[in-house]
Amino acid sequence: MSTPLTTNDVAGQYGPGDGPRVEIVLVYQSLLGIYGDRGNATVLARRLAWRGFDAVLTVVEPGQPLPDTGQVYLLGGGEDAAQISAVRALQADGGLHRAVDRGAVVFAVCAGYQIVGRTFTVGDPSVPGGEDQVIEGLGLLDVTTTRGPRRAVGEILSRWRGRDGEESLLTGFENHGGWTRLGPDARPLADVEVGIGNCDDGTEGAVAGTVLATYPHGPVLARNPALADHLLSLALGEELAPLPRPEIDTLRAQRLAAVRARS
Amino acid sequence: MLRLDPDALGELVAGRRVAMVSGTNGKTTTTHFLAAAVRAALGPDTDRLVHNADGANLHGGIASALGEHPHADLAILETDERVVADLVRLGRPEVLVLLNFSRDQLDRNHEIKGLGRSWREALATAGDAGPVVVANADEPLIVWAAQTARHVVWVDTATTWTQDAALCPQCGSPLVRDDPGGWRCTGCDLAQPPTTYQVVGDTIVRPDGSVVTPALNVPGGFNVSNAACALAAAELLGVDAETALTGMRTVTSPAGRFGTVTVAGSRARLLLAKNPAGWAEALPLATSSTVVLAIDSAAADGRDVSWLWDVEYEQLAGRSVVATGPRAADLAVRLAYAGVEHRTVPDLAEALRGHPEQVDVVATYTPFQRLRKLGGS
Repeated sequence: MSTPLTTNDVAGQYGPGDGPRVEIVLVYQSLLGIYGDRGNATVLARRLAWRGFDAVLTVVEPGQPLPDTGQVYLLGGGEDAAQISAVRALQADGGLHRAVDRGAVVFAVCAGYQIVGRTFTVGDPSVPGGEDQVIEGLGLLDVTTTRGPRRAVGEILSRWRGRDGEESLLTGFENHGGWTRLGPDARPLADVEVGIGNCDDGTEGAVAGTVLATYPHGPVLARNPALADHLLSLALGEELAPLPRPEIDTLRAQRLAAVRARS
Repeated sequence: MLRLDPDALGELVAGRRVAMVSGTNGKTTTTHFLAAAVRAALGPDTDRLVHNADGANLHGGIASALGEHPHADLAILETDERVVADLVRLGRPEVLVLLNFSRDQLDRNHEIKGLGRSWREALATAGDAGPVVVANADEPLIVWAAQTARHVVWVDTATTWTQDAALCPQCGSPLVRDDPGGWRCTGCDLAQPPTTYQVVGDTIVRPDGSVVTPALNVPGGFNVSNAACALAAAELLGVDAETALTGMRTVTSPAGRFGTVTVAGSRARLLLAKNPAGWAEALPLATSSTVVLAIDSAAADGRDVSWLWDVEYEQLAGRSVVATGPRAADLAVRLAYAGVEHRTVPDLAEALRGHPEQVDVVATYTPFQRLRKLGGS
């Protein structure tokens, strides 16, 4: 028998076993998983479990249908070929559109962000046959990605719109060659304090309804627990009690100091 | 990276027989195996051999090793992935060992396929004047990159890390694994090639079917895989298998890896892990009752530590774990989400203080080197 060459070890049940069930779907880890973005799934599942929910973390690979039972769908970063493969498989599947239609949360990072937009451009003009190609995205967000004048690589700090206080600061590491511009039906997730973000226009990420997208890895939800809890609140339709974790406060303080010292 | 006139490297290497070793993980140890195998065959003539033993594997490091041994006619060179194409062109190697390809330092190497392409093109250009390649048949990107060589000795290394190989490097279609039969592409003819050397458990099967037991003095199944590649290379250079293995057994702590140092009064065994594939190999070797994990994000470590979330730290649950290094806070959060109790002690020397028993330390590149220095190794 044939099995996919890649394997995944984060799938499973997290939680006490008798709590309310919440399903997190990690989409195409083998294609959209080169920057540790599966950590976003681990973070959401653990934060649910710590609050007494039973989190079910489902990992779906191309060729397998996306479940229609998920409350949160996660997409991460990947290389060009993987990104094209992923968007074609998602178009064929259709499950992500159905998820959005029924109000599930989609959280897309980096290549995943570009995939949920209208179009994106891939290619490496420095190699033969590497000419730019414009690829049709899923159209879940009114954003368009083209090749930027330079690659954005480094720590990024932004301020989450509509939030205040320390938790409004979003910290992460960006690494992308595509520059993304927002159309009228999407609004930025945050305003950049340090880094490039969408296209060096001062904005970062995009939001429309229950679809949220952003560039930073980190993974971003590990570094920004308020954003993680926001996604969970949106999915569950309820406010969640805070979860104080001193090691996360320490990490945030350190990353904020580091990124500001460099700017 | 020292920017050197490429012709200078060509001149330094001219007139020598050259064997190169590259890959993401294991190249320092494998180069030490190969150098030790060749040294065993040379007997008292060890001055004939030059080996960049300290792991300085970029243009500058290779040039300085060669410059210090002007009369050595055999060069065994650990070569950074980014230097392979240049050295194939300039150095006219007889043998090139390609171990594995894993994502590493993505802040600099955005697409690992680009590196593989550079190897493939250099081997194609070298044609009949190019090296015989010893290549790991378990890694699709290695197989694709090595295919253009004039001759390849394929080694079944029994490698288990597959998380960096979902799509065919040739056509982009999904890869699958047939059991039995190995991996193959679903869209083109790229597939695991038949091998002439195979790793089976802790033994190596040679081309004539004979089974040898390397009985190495460095730990880990991955080092049996490295030894199989070094053995194939040594035999290509004319060293007989028994002599090669005798030499390889003298390798105990190549450039400090698996070596023991004393830091802050504690004995520590140092394990290097630079990326998720390396951590997957190193963590199971860390068997001491307390395990120290050291993380940094200097240029040599990679500035982005997101890879921490691709390492299965969950396996350490229930153990005594100390998180240290400049990025200890990132590791602490990862460990918290992995359900692993730990102490966070950012200072390396402090983290090593007060352990009555020997501790295993798994470290990224910069803290690994710093601990070697602190331990006087």
